[in-house]
Amino acid sequence: MDSDRGRRSTLRGPTGNPGPLAEAAEPNGVTVTSTTTAFWNPKTETLPKDQLRALQLHRLQRLVAHAYENSPFHRRLYDAAKVGPDSIKTLDDIRRLPFMTREDWMACQAEKPIFGDLITRPQSDAIRYHLTSGTSGRQPLRVLDSRKDWSWITDMWCYGFWGFGVRPSDTVFFAFSYGSFIGFWGAHYCCEKLGCLTLASGNMTTEQRVKQIVEMGVTVVCATPTYALRMGQAAEKMGIDLKKEGKVRRVIVSGEPAGSIPAVKSMIEDMWGGKCGDTAGMTEIGTIMIFECDHQPGGPHIIEDHFIEEVLDPETDEPQAYGDSGERVVTSFGRGFIPLIRYRTKDLVRKVPHDTCDCGRTGDIFEGGILGRVDDMKLIRGTNVYPRAVEAVVREHSEVEEFQIIVSRKDNVQDEISVKVELKPDQQDVWPRLSAQLGKDLADAHEGLRFNVELANQGELPRFELKAKRLQDLRPQH
Amino acid sequence: MTNDTKDLLGNDLSADERELLELYQRTLTLSRRDDLPPVATANVKQAMVLLWNACNDLAIDCGVPDCD
Ligand SMILES: [Zn+2]
Repeated sequence: MDSDRGRRSTLRGPTGNPGPLAEAAEPNGVTVTSTTTAFWNPKTETLPKDQLRALQLHRLQRLVAHAYENSPFHRRLYDAAKVGPDSIKTLDDIRRLPFMTREDWMACQAEKPIFGDLITRPQSDAIRYHLTSGTSGRQPLRVLDSRKDWSWITDMWCYGFWGFGVRPSDTVFFAFSYGSFIGFWGAHYCCEKLGCLTLASGNMTTEQRVKQIVEMGVTVVCATPTYALRMGQAAEKMGIDLKKEGKVRRVIVSGEPAGSIPAVKSMIEDMWGGKCGDTAGMTEIGTIMIFECDHQPGGPHIIEDHFIEEVLDPETDEPQAYGDSGERVVTSFGRGFIPLIRYRTKDLVRKVPHDTCDCGRTGDIFEGGILGRVDDMKLIRGTNVYPRAVEAVVREHSEVEEFQIIVSRKDNVQDEISVKVELKPDQQDVWPRLSAQLGKDLADAHEGLRFNVELANQGELPRFELKAKRLQDLRPQH
Repeated sequence: MTNDTKDLLGNDLSADERELLELYQRTLTLSRRDDLPPVATANVKQAMVLLWNACNDLAIDCGVPDCD
């Protein structure tokens, strides 16, 4: 094999350029040994837009044909809409395809237990089975993956981890309870693929996790943003200064919209000493579809060589222009077992052009990440309130340890919104000033709407490892 | 139904891309044999899947994702 040494790679980007080298200076004094290229896949991550669109069209045509031929669910859906594989001549033709919803999927599973007739192959061909987390009490979605699906799933995480600067020399810690929820499973396998030392911690308490992160010289921590904060708070209580005693240079978060709230990120960075980057995915696609690159232009890039991400007006279903927020509708080219085409996610996003970032990727950007859920908006006395927007205000105040939003109805007439705040143990004195300031900031961010701001006792509010649920709507449901 | 000379964008495959595709095709053929011991079949299948992954990401034509 010696003859291959020094041979020049022909797997470069369209310009023949492997991309800019990753920076050498790293937080917490860590040296990164492998810095060949900033891109996991220079060829398709930097494709000029017209070629990227051509690639998407090719993949869409194949995907629709595959779904039509092998998934009775999709054949039924497309026959009813009088469309089929031949309907896709241009990328705009995607709009001729009917949407797929979570409700359709659940109904299909209920009708033909347990996977529905959505799957394209027999169950015996799968190597993995996962469920949605079912946090909202609904019937979970069940998903199967083949060997190739699973490899692709881990690879999408590789786009994100490599793009945010994770390298084979890193030691990566997953603060995740490995179970039937897909969560960080794919990311764990991604890190093994990258060649990182990859640590699982499903059996550990928060304190044990903090200890191991320090002991093992962990350089990358993966968690939900809420849990990254919680570990940081636990470290403080244990008398551990993560910035001094730890070696963490990256905190990669996922699972909650808070991962793209600047105040949350800077709290995490202050605690850990490493850069905090957001990713977002969903069980329905099995992996992430967006990630923040190392340049962090204010939102994550879409992995456009593997996904089409439409942003539609949730009322009219018309495409939104760059800069206008709307509902994410995703088409995924990767999972063969369960084709996902024009799936309505109910995620609220705002797309901006790729060149908002100067990293060289041509995938567009979701400015501010996932902004919330189309259906988790609360209408309070005529004003729209999104939990994520409340969190953005509350997290501006570093004295706050935990909080909860409570919506109620007074005397059966007037809707009230309260924010209950639990302070850090040594910050009790700031309450008179902080409560007034919070009330003002929340009102300013919500057209003058009055929020009741209440102090909670130490340890009173619930803590979360996965998908924090900080909003309680106590109004009578009709 | 694959194209051995051009990628999905219509570009000629580079030397390294041709080599990757060829390795994928060879491991695919090998993984479909039914006369090999499990140790060979299972490990070759894993290798085939990883090569498919590289080819697929590089926009090299190697079929739909669901075929093992
Ligand atoms: Zn970028």
